[in-house]
Amino acid sequence: MEGSILESIGVEIIGVMSPVSICMLLVVLLVYSLSSYSSPSVEPIRTAANLVYLEAPSDSTSQKIEGSLLNALVFVILIAVVTFLLVVLYYYNFTNFLKNYMRFSAFFVLGAMGGSIFLSIIRQFSIPIDAITCFVLLFNFTVVGVLSVFAEGIPIPIVLRQVYMVLLGIIVAAWFTNLPEWTTWTLLVALALYDLVAVLAPGGPLKILVELASSREDDLPALVYEARPTVSRNPRRSSLGLLVGGVSSDSVELEMTRHNASNSRDGGFIEMMDEETSPLVPNSSSNSEFSVSVGTADRFQQTEIIENEEERTPLSAMLDMRTEMEPRTRNEDIQEETTRGIKLGLGDFVFYSVLVGRAAMYDLMTVYACYLAIISGLGCTLILLSVFRHALPALPISIALGIMFYFLTRVLMEPFVVGTSTNLMMF
Amino acid sequence: MTLAAGIGYVLLTLGPSLALFVTVISTKPFLILILLSSTLVWLISLIVLSGFWRVFLPIKATVWWPYVLLILTSVVFQEGLRLVLWRGYKKMEDMLDAFADRVAKPRLYLSDKMQIALAGGLGHGVAHAVFFCLSLLTPSFGPGTFYVDKCSYAPFFLISAIISLAFVTIHTFSMVIAFNGYAQGNMSDQFIVPAIHLIAGTLTLVNLASGGCIVGIPLLYMVAAFTLAYCGKMVWRTLTETQIRLTHQNQ
Repeated sequence: MEGSILESIGVEIIGVMSPVSICMLLVVLLVYSLSSYSSPSVEPIRTAANLVYLEAPSDSTSQKIEGSLLNALVFVILIAVVTFLLVVLYYYNFTNFLKNYMRFSAFFVLGAMGGSIFLSIIRQFSIPIDAITCFVLLFNFTVVGVLSVFAEGIPIPIVLRQVYMVLLGIIVAAWFTNLPEWTTWTLLVALALYDLVAVLAPGGPLKILVELASSREDDLPALVYEARPTVSRNPRRSSLGLLVGGVSSDSVELEMTRHNASNSRDGGFIEMMDEETSPLVPNSSSNSEFSVSVGTADRFQQTEIIENEEERTPLSAMLDMRTEMEPRTRNEDIQEETTRGIKLGLGDFVFYSVLVGRAAMYDLMTVYACYLAIISGLGCTLILLSVFRHALPALPISIALGIMFYFLTRVLMEPFVVGTSTNLMMF
Repeated sequence: MTLAAGIGYVLLTLGPSLALFVTVISTKPFLILILLSSTLVWLISLIVLSGFWRVFLPIKATVWWPYVLLILTSVVFQEGLRLVLWRGYKKMEDMLDAFADRVAKPRLYLSDKMQIALAGGLGHGVAHAVFFCLSLLTPSFGPGTFYVDKCSYAPFFLISAIISLAFVTIHTFSMVIAFNGYAQGNMSDQFIVPAIHLIAGTLTLVNLASGGCIVGIPLLYMVAAFTLAYCGKMVWRTLTETQIRLTHQNQ
């Protein structure tokens, strides 16, 4: 019995959804286990996200809204400035500087922020461990993490890289959940809007960045989660396209980048600048008919698929045309072609998890609702990606759905469900 | 100790679904997507229903007829939704078949179709368990537990976990029955599903009476067992029929 097509469809989508789910799950667990530790009397931290206004529970609602709007505005402006700076640096080919900077920020996130989270975990569960062992472990953990973020020349397994990307996401998201409630919501909305503009508007910094990177055939100088690539280009690669009615889509890339900038922890001041992108980049180098490939078997398979595709849709024909327009010799690119999967920026991991983590502070019901909403938003984005075939922002749909479901659940569903099920009535 | 109890409640409700998920669903990515979307559909239906009933809440505990109406509307709405799901599934099946032809793979087998129905049903069941049982479990992880006056034989969490397990079973397998019934145009299969759902819903009304859960829960489990048996019988019949037809064609 031959394998049915059920096994081959949706591999890419699941490849992106599962790390996002793991990230959200761990953040929720973290929030749950640490929330009892951090009593409400703890000083609210000051970060770049609440520079202007520090929310106090006693403030009136209008004060809170006003303050949180200001906070969000300042934060978004900050992010935009840093992004533009990075784009300028990238434009003038300061790639090495950018990569080292990224390594440095990864070091700081893993070492300082991660370290303090570990400390609070140790304190919460009273794990018996001495300071020296803890320090050595933390240092090793951090160094391996930094190396795996941009592994050049070192063969680092992609699984390790993926694990560290998810860990970075968890750590940053766990910090963001410390923000006060109103600020979190306005911040999420503002970031989703910013994401939309930065990726789609002409002249948006992330759009420029992605275009630059793809024209240079370079990796994005950013922290990007790369889904595990499928082993070889066989027909199952094009399965994502099925979901949009047969538009074939080989190797779509959902790229989202996030630069986690410096954060200095002097005197309790934590500054976090996030440059955050969410482009879905079409991988124009895929399936190129000009690839002068070495592996003949692979090559045959490839051309076969191309023929298949040409009959399919105008969309794929367009793609092929574009590949024709930029014929490059790709002797060494074969390797790269087969190792590319869908990419999702770390920023999405972080802010999805922030949303879920914030929901976890209310109730489990809102967590489930938000999780489902975010995942379905991500699914919608991936489907749109295979239609539009260029970089897309992954935050707006998910965040909008997530916030909508949070409040619907909180206002409408909870009283209903609690009311019926405490009477032991179900249907 | 309470943590262990909490995990125990979770596993009691979702253990069978977890086993199904690991063995059948998780190996096929597409089924995971079906599961997630069906969970989302159920959540949306619940939100719509609660949006409608929110106006009349809270219902006084002494009168019982609003609860009858509530169960009735909910079941009718969700069974209507099943029809919509079936329409969507039909379209998707055509797309899948067209896609399979294009990549020169076999079309959907009968077992594939049943697995899709199972994934859809499991999505409904899991959503039910998550929203009616798991989301109320948070206090059970903390110190202490909670008893309901009308059914004080066991903690509330345990009772709701037990009831949820029955409903997970009913939801999961009634979807298989319904989809198969629609596909074959079998009227009795099509009508037994809403009937089962309605009966199960009304049986929980027994819990409103003081001490009623002693009677209600065994009855509910009988309904669940009936669903399971009916589904098994139907799947067996369908599979053997197609087998016979296939061997006849080959001869």
